[in-house]
Amino acid sequence: MRRKKLAVFTATGCSACENAILDVHYQVSSLTGWVDIAFWPYLMGCQWGDLEKGGPIDVCFFSGAISTESDREAAVKLREKSEILVACGACASFGGLPGLSNLAREAQSTPPAQAVGEELALVLPKIEPRVSGLAQVVTVDYVVPGCPPIQSLLWTALQALVCEGESPTRLSFATSRLPEALAAAVAAGIPPAPGSTFAGERAVCASCSREKQEKKFQQYYRPFEISADPGRCLLEQGLLCQGLATREGCGGICAAVGAGCRGCFGKAEAVLDPGAKMVSAISSTFDSSDAAAIQAISEKFVDLAGTFYRYTLPTQCVLMSGPEKE
Amino acid sequence: MENVTLAPLRWVEEPSQVTILGDEGRWQAYFQTTGVRNLSGMCRGRPVEELPRILSILSPAHHLVSAMALDGLFDAEPPAPAANVREALLQALFFKNHLRKLYFLLASFSNPFQPFSLRGLPTTKELVPQHMSARIMGHLALSQEAASILGGRSDHPMSAVPGGVSRFPKEPHYPRLAEIAAECSRFAVELANFLGETVFQDSIIEEMGLGGSFTPMSFVATNRGRGEIVVRDPMGKETDRFPTKEIFRNIGFEKEAWTYQPFAYLADHGWRGLEKDVGGLFFVGPLARLNGGENLERPQAEEERQRLVNALGPFPHFTIRAACWALAVELVLAGENMVDLCFQEKLTGPAMRTMPTGMNQEGFAAGESPQGLIAHHYVTDERGLVTNVEILDTAAANNALRCLIAGSVAEGTLSPDQAWGEIKARIELSFLPF
Amino acid sequence: MSEFEPKIVAFLCNWCSYVAADAAGVARLVQRPNVRIIRVFCSGMVDPSYVIKAFASGADGVLVAGCHPGDCHYLSGNIKALRRSFLLRKLLSELGVDEKRFRLAWIAASEPTLYAKTMNEMTEEIRALGPYAPPKPGAPAKAGAMRGAA
Repeated sequence: MRRKKLAVFTATGCSACENAILDVHYQVSSLTGWVDIAFWPYLMGCQWGDLEKGGPIDVCFFSGAISTESDREAAVKLREKSEILVACGACASFGGLPGLSNLAREAQSTPPAQAVGEELALVLPKIEPRVSGLAQVVTVDYVVPGCPPIQSLLWTALQALVCEGESPTRLSFATSRLPEALAAAVAAGIPPAPGSTFAGERAVCASCSREKQEKKFQQYYRPFEISADPGRCLLEQGLLCQGLATREGCGGICAAVGAGCRGCFGKAEAVLDPGAKMVSAISSTFDSSDAAAIQAISEKFVDLAGTFYRYTLPTQCVLMSGPEKE
Repeated sequence: MENVTLAPLRWVEEPSQVTILGDEGRWQAYFQTTGVRNLSGMCRGRPVEELPRILSILSPAHHLVSAMALDGLFDAEPPAPAANVREALLQALFFKNHLRKLYFLLASFSNPFQPFSLRGLPTTKELVPQHMSARIMGHLALSQEAASILGGRSDHPMSAVPGGVSRFPKEPHYPRLAEIAAECSRFAVELANFLGETVFQDSIIEEMGLGGSFTPMSFVATNRGRGEIVVRDPMGKETDRFPTKEIFRNIGFEKEAWTYQPFAYLADHGWRGLEKDVGGLFFVGPLARLNGGENLERPQAEEERQRLVNALGPFPHFTIRAACWALAVELVLAGENMVDLCFQEKLTGPAMRTMPTGMNQEGFAAGESPQGLIAHHYVTDERGLVTNVEILDTAAANNALRCLIAGSVAEGTLSPDQAWGEIKARIELSFLPF
Repeated sequence: MSEFEPKIVAFLCNWCSYVAADAAGVARLVQRPNVRIIRVFCSGMVDPSYVIKAFASGADGVLVAGCHPGDCHYLSGNIKALRRSFLLRKLLSELGVDEKRFRLAWIAASEPTLYAKTMNEMTEEIRALGPYAPPKPGAPAKAGAMRGAA
């Protein structure tokens, strides 16, 4: 069997996604049977020249949001060279935390090219007017969401795309969270339908271990105001948790630790806009019919846009994702 | 004028490059950060209690320093067990970071994804026996498991909250944590011995391209968690000491138009650029922490530190080899610290957090992250929404260092027909331990 | 016409406000022609995502009109709409949609004049605000900015 050529690259973000691939630990070294690293600057020190001179790439895992001109060029170059391009992590998939700066008042400016001696020699890539997700710049074949992606789903994506399911490693944990069609494809060793996201379809609530009783918001609390009861749904205790509008797949890790979900897996399948969904879900639990009382509860909420679109502002906020829609 | 760009850079997190300009035989190298994250744009307007999770994008330790800043902002001192959980998490992060860097160092000439059949052949430069690679990976997994137990996740932890932690580890976690700590501590000593015998020898160091040194400059570190920051000059003499709250009064930030990353410098000296006067420059990190020459309180770590001193001479050091060896010393230290902290009595108690009593609208904190000293300063409005944020991260603190290293590697070793690939590899290796 | 003509999307409930709008037409009350009506069975079925979609699709203003509290055909549908309106208005304003662009009104079937008045007032208010354009980073949404300029 021909060994697949793999590329891994990060634009603007952090190194957690690339480290997440390395963190698949023992399993990752078993990739040596199937993979030739064609371009992985962070790990191997490859230069752009190596990519240009090398042959086509089978699978590229691209992390990081597009924030400068050189990020955009990197995305285009890797798209041209790669058979399959995977948006790895929240930044590439949706814009991620860097995307929050799209809400900022001041735009960042690119300094002019610097002269050294008599020539203009030191040039910095232009900063784009807004941060974008990968899919807003090039066509993306698959999405592995999360900040960073969790090991099991990342490993599933690698298995499905690079090893084509031939590895004997157990996949049951991951496939139990994936939608049926995707799980069947992965188990059978065939590439999933293009455009698939390696995560569940339902909301995080479906895999969260907290007990859900009746949802009635009497009072909204900021996380520092109360100590959450470890067994009960956070939303029911007045703490904001975005699991309702977010794709499942992580198993509810944040909620398990007492930190409300902030949506790093992106919006669930059936949601148009995560902010709208959260407004609807939270408002409908307000325990009052009196306008003044409802207004009083609503006043307490702060920074709705920054919270509901924490990881997804550039791509999934309908009003701010620009003319280039997903 | 000739113009060569070396990009992307191995092991460097931010999008960056080294541009080398040649003018009639004279070369000048510039380390340029080409990516922008606009942290203040990301943070302004956010509820301040969200910052620990947002700022972990910089590195996992920022999560902890952010929580410390919030402790001050909300007037909520964490109860002792919660402080221990945070400290244990920090030690696990130290272990993981340093082990990862040492792994990169050892794997720098080999391809970890190479087919097994090609490994260990005389033609391939293999410093690391196969079983050692596997053991390193295994211990990375263990330290990651410990960090996940203590922090919720290891890469972007979220359990530190204003006034404490959001939950204690569960019952079955305690014996596991103790197990992991003991195992990691044992391995740290084993690895340090291995490195001392096979890698830190003169011949190997030269061959690997780690024989370089950099311009001696001041170095800054905390005084081991006792609430102060100490500045020492290139001779190792203390020149300044101030409480962590005052860090942003003593450090300035300068922007140069050829890089997106600002430079941190010592405020009372002023910014004079990188060319002649390095008086205002400083660096942080494992080497900076050890360069004061003080004894370490943990016995095995102190033993390793003594081995370094016996081989290389007394501190301070300004060589790449010393920086790599400092990683090994701190690895052993982190292992011992984990053993000290990871057992039930220390990590559990009646309360996991102190509920905030007030809101001061301003919070400061500084602490050591695995890569060096970091600091946060927040200002909020009366609702607790961030209006201003100042952050010292290691990229800014070590920006000058990296520029000078790139300069000395490039300028010192270049000839007209230089192999750029080799220069790039040398620069990357020299950046690695920082 | 060189004057800006706002596009207003109105979600009218089948039992009250739509009837009022119909009656206003039959009575030939003077009305601005700027509204596009979407008839829904209850104001309570207007999901916030419809409102957001309306703005994203070119609306300069959105009205949701239902029965007076207590008169809802489905008992409490209009209260559901009321509950959502506060957070929705807050979210919209954080995303650069002026608060005056989204309105929730109670209009009974017997109040065609109230309907016409509401519509006319809203049109003029939004005409004064200018066209809605999605916010761009680095510049707060300006009234009168060219819509669709990317």
